[in-house]
Amino acid sequence: MMTGQETEPSRRSFLDRLLKLSVFAWALSIVYPIFAYFKIPPEAESTPTNIAAAKINELQANQGKVFRFGNQPAILVKTPDGQWKAFSAVCTHLQCTVQYRNDLQKIWCACHNGIYDLNGANVAGPPPRPLQEFKVTTKGDDVFVSKA
Amino acid sequence: MIQKLLVVISLVFAAFAFAEEKNTCMSCHTETGSPEAIAFKSDIHFQNGLSCSDCHGGDPSAEDMEAAMNPAKGFIGKPKPADIPVICGTCHGDMQKDFETGVHGAALKNNSEGPQCVSCHGIHNILRVKDPHSPVSALNITKTCATCHSNAAYIKQFNPGLPVDEYEKYLTSVHGKRNALGDTKAATCVSCHSNHLIYKVKDPRSPVSPMKIPGTCATCHSNKKYMAQYKIPTNQYDDYAQSVHGVALLKNSDESAPACNSCHGNHGAAPPGAESVASVCGQCHQANAELYDKSVHRTVFRENSLPDCVVCHSNHLVKHPEDTMIGFHPDSLCGSCHSDVATDRAAPVIKAMRTTLQGLTRGQTEAEELLNQAEQLGMDVAEAKYTLKDVNQSLIETRVKVHSFAKEPVQESAAPGLKVIAEAREAGHAAVKEYYFRRKGLGVSTLLLTCLVVLLYLKIRQIEKKQQ
Amino acid sequence: MKSRLSDWVQERFHLSGLVEFAAKKKVPYFRGSFWYYFGGVSLFLFIVQVVTGILLLMYYQPGAKTAFESVHFIISKVQFGWLIRSIHSWSANLMVLSVFIHMFSVYFTKAFRRPRELTWYSGFVLFGLVLAFGFSGYLLPWNTLSYFATKVGTEITAVVPVVGEPIMQLLRAGNDVTTSTLTRFFGLHVAIFPAIFTVILSLHLLLIQVQGISEPESWSEYPEHKKKFIPFFPNFVLKDLLLWLIVLNVLAILAVFYPWELGQKADPFAPAPAGIKPEWYFLFMYQSLKYIPAKLWLFDGEVVGVLLFGVAGLLWFLVPMWDEKTPKGLRNKLINYAGILAVIFIIAMTILGVK
Repeated sequence: MMTGQETEPSRRSFLDRLLKLSVFAWALSIVYPIFAYFKIPPEAESTPTNIAAAKINELQANQGKVFRFGNQPAILVKTPDGQWKAFSAVCTHLQCTVQYRNDLQKIWCACHNGIYDLNGANVAGPPPRPLQEFKVTTKGDDVFVSKA
Repeated sequence: MIQKLLVVISLVFAAFAFAEEKNTCMSCHTETGSPEAIAFKSDIHFQNGLSCSDCHGGDPSAEDMEAAMNPAKGFIGKPKPADIPVICGTCHGDMQKDFETGVHGAALKNNSEGPQCVSCHGIHNILRVKDPHSPVSALNITKTCATCHSNAAYIKQFNPGLPVDEYEKYLTSVHGKRNALGDTKAATCVSCHSNHLIYKVKDPRSPVSPMKIPGTCATCHSNKKYMAQYKIPTNQYDDYAQSVHGVALLKNSDESAPACNSCHGNHGAAPPGAESVASVCGQCHQANAELYDKSVHRTVFRENSLPDCVVCHSNHLVKHPEDTMIGFHPDSLCGSCHSDVATDRAAPVIKAMRTTLQGLTRGQTEAEELLNQAEQLGMDVAEAKYTLKDVNQSLIETRVKVHSFAKEPVQESAAPGLKVIAEAREAGHAAVKEYYFRRKGLGVSTLLLTCLVVLLYLKIRQIEKKQQ
Repeated sequence: MKSRLSDWVQERFHLSGLVEFAAKKKVPYFRGSFWYYFGGVSLFLFIVQVVTGILLLMYYQPGAKTAFESVHFIISKVQFGWLIRSIHSWSANLMVLSVFIHMFSVYFTKAFRRPRELTWYSGFVLFGLVLAFGFSGYLLPWNTLSYFATKVGTEITAVVPVVGEPIMQLLRAGNDVTTSTLTRFFGLHVAIFPAIFTVILSLHLLLIQVQGISEPESWSEYPEHKKKFIPFFPNFVLKDLLLWLIVLNVLAILAVFYPWELGQKADPFAPAPAGIKPEWYFLFMYQSLKYIPAKLWLFDGEVVGVLLFGVAGLLWFLVPMWDEKTPKGLRNKLINYAGILAVIFIIAMTILGVK
């Protein structure tokens, strides 16, 4: 009887200690992911379908800028008469990325000399179709580009 | 006695009169010295028994002028230009139909100044086509066509945009030069454009429409027997049909692809001289031509009178270029001149170009495989796959830069592609690592949880025991 | 130290009475008592939903232009985002299953009988809310499946005569499923439903605690000493906790080996994908509606179907009222048969719907 009473308390407290340790370890395995979840991922936000492509005074007239739009490149142009235009920058010929040529006042593809005018129409070279046009709106300081 | 003689004489006279068909038109008009009637004597129609009235109508047996030229007897006088094809067509029906279907027929319908049968064949002095004096014989036809088609003021009435320098150009061509020397086999206007049924060039039925031109040129140029005396090859069409240009035009109906006339010219057709090749190819392949012009190859090729682009790419059998063209191995093109790898100055450049291109193509394939593998495991690599598409642009630009035949431009344009490949590879590896991390993590947490569950169960048992 | 803490609490909250009451609570222990756990499992899964839902709220952006992208962001960029999202989706389905089982086990043991009618009524409302949670949450990722399932589902509400059309327009925030529908469903899912649910759940749990766990019918004839009980605290609670831990592990395993798909972003202009159907817990209704002929006498087949379901639901809800036998201690075979019929019907229709 005495031995039983002696071993019982130690067995009980051993089990209790082990249980407490186990609970603590398990709680940690729950809390750690939750904390990690709150850490800001490298890309601060999801890429929406409407982004601020540039600041209003970033481009002069007759200048263009290629920027990332979702998962594709797009091109923002301020035309010689001050209008904002935006198009997909994926050339309709063999999918190279186009750029703005201020000497030609047109959009140009370096790969095979494809040329698009400022309405996106394919006017010279191999491109078979015009560039997809996007919508441009200005709000405050920013120029926003969204899918038409 | 004299009476008998008179009867005999008048009988003979009458016999003569009946033997020859009475043609008062001719007899009267030759008497008056009409140039048309005089010319008509040598006309092929007259020599075959046709007379004025067969075209002009009227009664050739009537002695009286008014009776002969009687509208009641079908006399029409000088026919209106628009009626001429109909008149000729009463016998030459096929040609009339062809003529009316073609552009010349349409022009005549709109404008009486337009071309008629007589514009080319002559009016009262029509000769056989093969007759060397005929205006439509092989050696004269081009001048005949040029009467109108080199006349800017005339052509403007019908098509203000139509060029009027074809004849001039033709004279500079091989065809024109041979024609001038009396070679009836050389191509003339009608050889390509057809004689009566002339369609507009843009009309897909025209033998000189973009997609039909190679076939038209091949009619002569692929005919071994026909071309035997000229001692030039006759495999151009066959080669062309297999080339990228030929397949694009003939199989894929891509009208922007070059046909024979794009490089050789159409009216001024001549093979471009060795020095002109780069300019000709450069009309479309501008970037390549510009790079080539500044490269060492141009200087060396010109010194050796080698035809630039054709040296590597061939003239008619232009195949899709492969990266394997660069290198020293037996299949490559560089190796045919740059044979001595050890001492050749070009060797490091060739090696650099080859390894750069391989880096891009192999890197792209490897990265794609890795991302596919990650995707199969259920990981999301959509973004990495998208950015990998940029490698294609880098590849296109790098392959163009090869024409600089220098190391730096090639490596420069490959750099962004290689960067994208490296990033994609990283993303792929990260995805695969994440996959295993998740399973390991699950293992660890399951272990912890099992421990906890077991201990809790023991604790419950313990409590229950205590309660008894 | 423990006693010092409890003294501190007692001085401020006067909970000693409550603690005494709780210590005396007991749970009937018999062959079928393991069914009792499903209430607790449902509660646990609800807690999981609240926790994972709040975490998802940290990154989710409602609106047709951003919803899909934000969910994609969560599962691909946020650390453990994939885990939280998959657990949320799996737990939702398991919770629906769990409340079905809980409801039917309560039904067959007639635990709804006097004095526990209110527990049954509040429970049925909770059940309806769980389905509403499922329906509203399903739209939030704004992918092809959720868009069309919502379209079909809200279309059926319009079938109800008189009030159907306005209800549909209220749900859809308009005549079509648009970004406004999405934000409305979002508001319902994260604010309105949770608020109502919490209030009614509190009532439901309070009633259970105050009234104690219902004893099986057979025990009405037993003498007191023959009835076996286990203490609620700590035995039943610890056993419940054990089960909850196992369920948590099951969720983790499901999240890792069967991650919830995201699919493609919804395109309202694309045709509905072939074989579009609602989530499995609505399938039995969807499938049975298909079997009703298009026209029954003067009425639209669909209207008849929806109304029949409405009537069935109402009868089910009101079972404490029309079950007269059980309070008298008699065996109500009708209730049992009705229940078995319902179970078979639901399972059969669900299987047919899945095919």
